[in-house]
Amino acid sequence: MTEARSSPSLAVQNHDDKGPSPQPARRRWMWPRQATGYVMIAPAIIFLLMVIIYPLFEVLRLSFYEFTGLRDQQSSFVGLKNFFTLMDDRIYWISMKNTMIFVLATVVLHALIGLLFALALHQDWPSNRLRNLVRGLLILPWLFSMAAAGLVWALLLNALGPINYLLVSAGILERAMDFLGDKDTALWGLIVINVWKSYPFYMIMLLGGLQTIPPDLYAAAKVDGADRWQRFAFVTLPMMRSILVATTAIDFITTFGVFDLVRTLTNGGPARSTITLGYYTWLVGFRDVDFGYGAAISVSMLIIMSVAMFFYLRLGREAIYG
Amino acid sequence: MASAPGAFGRRLGVQRYLSLYGLLSGLLMVAGVIAVLFPIAWMVFASMRPLAETFGSPPAWIPRDITGDAYAKIFSDPRQLRYQLNTYIISFSTAILSVGLGALAAYGFSRFRIWGAEFILLTIMALQMLPGVSIIIPFYNLARSAGVWNTYLGMIMADTVFALAISIWLLKSYIDSIPTDLEEAATVDGCNRLQALYKIVLPLLAPGLVGTGTFAFLYAWNDFVFATILRNGHELMPMTVAIGNFFTQANRDWNAIMALNTMATLPLIAIFVFLQRWVIEGMTAGALKE
Repeated sequence: MTEARSSPSLAVQNHDDKGPSPQPARRRWMWPRQATGYVMIAPAIIFLLMVIIYPLFEVLRLSFYEFTGLRDQQSSFVGLKNFFTLMDDRIYWISMKNTMIFVLATVVLHALIGLLFALALHQDWPSNRLRNLVRGLLILPWLFSMAAAGLVWALLLNALGPINYLLVSAGILERAMDFLGDKDTALWGLIVINVWKSYPFYMIMLLGGLQTIPPDLYAAAKVDGADRWQRFAFVTLPMMRSILVATTAIDFITTFGVFDLVRTLTNGGPARSTITLGYYTWLVGFRDVDFGYGAAISVSMLIIMSVAMFFYLRLGREAIYG
Repeated sequence: MASAPGAFGRRLGVQRYLSLYGLLSGLLMVAGVIAVLFPIAWMVFASMRPLAETFGSPPAWIPRDITGDAYAKIFSDPRQLRYQLNTYIISFSTAILSVGLGALAAYGFSRFRIWGAEFILLTIMALQMLPGVSIIIPFYNLARSAGVWNTYLGMIMADTVFALAISIWLLKSYIDSIPTDLEEAATVDGCNRLQALYKIVLPLLAPGLVGTGTFAFLYAWNDFVFATILRNGHELMPMTVAIGNFFTQANRDWNAIMALNTMATLPLIAIFVFLQRWVIEGMTAGALKE
């Protein structure tokens, strides 16, 4: 891999020179040519350092401070006090529970639907054009913003909406209910919406993974008498291991920060049944203007996400670099 | 029994489509397409017909009275037009900025030996996955102290930094695939490095730039978190936040919400129809080899 990366630069290195001199004047020492590379990546790197890396350290620093006063904020170093407060904060733990249910349910459903759809798309189809059309249609939800997808589903899940109509006329529900307005179903409503919006990511990632499996492996398994299920369990799944881990890690991290849906549809209600860590951070930081405590919630989120990040960087690298 | 997934088993002929497995996956695909298209159709229907049809019992599955009232209302409301304009300004700027910075950096990573390149690339890929909501507090402080709070620039910078990682990855793999011989030939002909980049690489890279820009555009278009914390009031509000505000009003105007929703989504679907390949490449960047 490193080989592949450095060879083009080596190839160029042997030849050209700075400046438009038609005859090579090679030995003249000019500005070291690798420096050009650093100059080229510098703007992007400086930008990333300023706008992501610095805030990451800043959020850690803020979490050790206490802020008082609304307009003229005074801050004082309080050590781990914010984190101790967190331990006893009932709303924090409700948010944690909601977030975990949301994330786990979403990731499992994403993986299941994504895998099934990817397998179905990966087969031989009577027509390739039809397959591409269906694949394109199945990606459409991914284009929606969370807010837009949320509102479409708010309409569908409305007490007067078509889903209630179908469930009631099929006799599954006794009478229409307001799914997003009921504390027992609101979180699951949000899960359904997120599953609908984001499953195409899994589908596309896993489809890409399926396409990298050499067909010979299936042929060999077949010769050995493996049936369809065995071929899936002993060829497909092991070959897809790293892509599954990488995809799941990415999905875990992005889903863990759920905010748009909650802010748009439920504002954490009813009865705090949909309050999530992301939404709670925003509430504490921007409604209560308690930056230190809000930062502490963020730091606790970042710690949990770094576990998933670890899996992405360790095992996902196989998928990235082959 | 019928075929294994993939090209394997092509010899088996037409009858394999009739297998149980083929039938089940066909049904699955039909169910999937319905589950995707029905909500989209319902959104468009609701935007252009009286509410009685949407909320009837049974609801009208096919629209009967078609009216453009909701759209007329949006197009005659300067505030609504402003929301749309804001979204377009932020999205185009993000696309241009992240493609510019991304192309430069990608060329650097692709053609020069950079110390720790793999580590840097993986780190920025991992960082862009972080949900924006986990760093909103320092982000807000940073924007305030840099004087870009409640400006387009603040939101554009936030969106760009998250779109930039994907841009660098996509463009790097694209530049990697352009043979270096061409640039060498150009330098032999008397071009300098920058001219070679400008005259040789850039034209070949054009599709890659468009695709990468598309992805950054999508990201900024759908951003909600930064648009929530980095601005105040209606002046700079983009569509994503505006739709949400509509919903929290006591008296929900479903026609208008769905009209705005449709206008916030159809451009993306149009882009997707023409640039599908790029959207898919952007989705898988950083997690698939190609």
